[in-house]
Amino acid sequence: MNARPVLSHMLPVLGTGIALAAVPLFVRESGYVLRIATFLLMLATYAVGFNLLFGHTRQLFLCIGVLAGTGAYGSVLLVRNAGLNPVAAIAVAVAIATGLGAFLSYVGVRRGFGVLFVGIVTLAVSLIFQNLVLGLRKYTNGETGIVTQGLGVGLAENPVQAYYILLAVLVAALAVYQEIMGSRHGLALHALSDDEVSAELSGIDVARYKVGVAALAAGFISLVGALFADWNGFISPSLFSVGHVDIPVLIVLLLGGMRTLLGPVVGAIVFTIVDAIVRPFGQLTVLAYGVLLVALFLVFREGTVTLLQRGWEMVQSSTQRGQVGRGVAADEDGDPLSQRTNSRAKSPY
Amino acid sequence: MLEVRELWVGYNDVSVIRGVTLEVPAGEATAVLGPNGSGKTTLFRALVGLLRPRSGSILFEGVPLNGLRPPQVVQRGIVYVAAERELFPQLTVLENLELGAYCCPRAFQSRLELVFELFPRLAERRSQRAGTLSGGEQQMLAIARALMAQPKLLLLDEPSTGLAPLLVAELYRRLEALRREGVTILLAEQQVGAALSLCARVYVLKEGRVAFCGGASSLRGSSELRKAYLGGIGGVGG
Repeated sequence: MNARPVLSHMLPVLGTGIALAAVPLFVRESGYVLRIATFLLMLATYAVGFNLLFGHTRQLFLCIGVLAGTGAYGSVLLVRNAGLNPVAAIAVAVAIATGLGAFLSYVGVRRGFGVLFVGIVTLAVSLIFQNLVLGLRKYTNGETGIVTQGLGVGLAENPVQAYYILLAVLVAALAVYQEIMGSRHGLALHALSDDEVSAELSGIDVARYKVGVAALAAGFISLVGALFADWNGFISPSLFSVGHVDIPVLIVLLLGGMRTLLGPVVGAIVFTIVDAIVRPFGQLTVLAYGVLLVALFLVFREGTVTLLQRGWEMVQSSTQRGQVGRGVAADEDGDPLSQRTNSRAKSPY
Repeated sequence: MLEVRELWVGYNDVSVIRGVTLEVPAGEATAVLGPNGSGKTTLFRALVGLLRPRSGSILFEGVPLNGLRPPQVVQRGIVYVAAERELFPQLTVLENLELGAYCCPRAFQSRLELVFELFPRLAERRSQRAGTLSGGEQQMLAIARALMAQPKLLLLDEPSTGLAPLLVAELYRRLEALRREGVTILLAEQQVGAALSLCARVYVLKEGRVAFCGGASSLRGSSELRKAYLGGIGGVGG
């Protein structure tokens, strides 16, 4: 580790990737479990994007489903109606969604929207998207949806390959996240999520960061959306609704821990397990999500990862105290530098 | 270095700064005095781009600043230290300083040495969180952070607020040292005595207009003038 200090901060990303790469080896017989695991990867990647948006730049984008749906519908329609090859179609769709994310962010920044107002506007965008897909029935088949078989790169036919491709996307998103947070941009993001005015007065171009982060997040989210369309074999507007995408992503991020690297992954795992438990209740799952979300906002804002970290630090500092004796006062909060991306900063509401 | 002409600034319907004209010569310290509500902070916020002036012009080194956002103003070399010392309390002293040097990361090391030389206390506390510092140390850090950006012009909004008299005197000694090193300073202050000890030229704001402008010595010498323009407010030192 000392020989390659540059890469040491990537170890958690690498470890996560390796651990998740082993999953298909254990569940080979069960297509169902692999499906759930693949969906977990997508959820985690959405949450990484949402973490950048909401956790780090305080942009409450309640249109994750729209961004994913733009990737999905964009890529499918470009192949089906414009005759593009699937890879090019995905690239174009991702570019469109990236532009959309940047545009929404830019509008919010220029008009000086607060957190909640961004939430309301993007929620409206989600409703518009639903109606747009229904209205363009001629192309989208409305609520009936589109069977995407043969229109994509063939993820539906090969689930194990699909798992690894989506894992690669997740690992890429985590690596980009970690790279940003380790650079001076990470410090700048921390500063602006603390206090935007102070950040601006330090010379940080808050507007540029917000728009840039929104574009980056939209890019990853829409890429996953496009791959989901192919993998799932079928798309319909309700698959990209607020209830289907945004609410779960919000829960995942809050469960796992905002402003942490692994929060989205841990949150996705916990969420997937909880989801499997409440699934038999049918329509009541929505109610369960709602109650869960309220509970999370009230008492568990910091998430599992932050909680575990604090616990670990307490264990470490107490063993240190035991070894060194009382002469050395251990820092109660642990090493402040290690808290850079996950300190209990001002909550972004 | 900085020229403000006929500046009008306000919030919504209310004009707070009403036709202010002032000049800050390079290498000098200039003070803006006045009671609460006279428009000092509003003036500063307009200078750094946090507020958009209604009319009038702001020239820095002969170039107009109108319409620039704060990050661009920082880039030009004007750095503002707000009265509320807007530090990042969760970050360490060193990280705060790193952020101060955000616009010019290459100069970080040399600036850090300079700042630690000026404020040795910060060097001791470099890995402590900014929120855990005392009021005086926080003020030092706020100024140090501003210095990290290699400012040509330092805007200080009531740097003495909340500091014990002894600390105020110490702070002004540091500012004097800075001025001698060539940093131009524009200062808003209620502690008239302290400000007059540092600044050569003084503007007194009253209800958004310049009520008095002249050499510090004329104010220092005349208690009548002080009473007329600054009312009951006084200060330490002098």
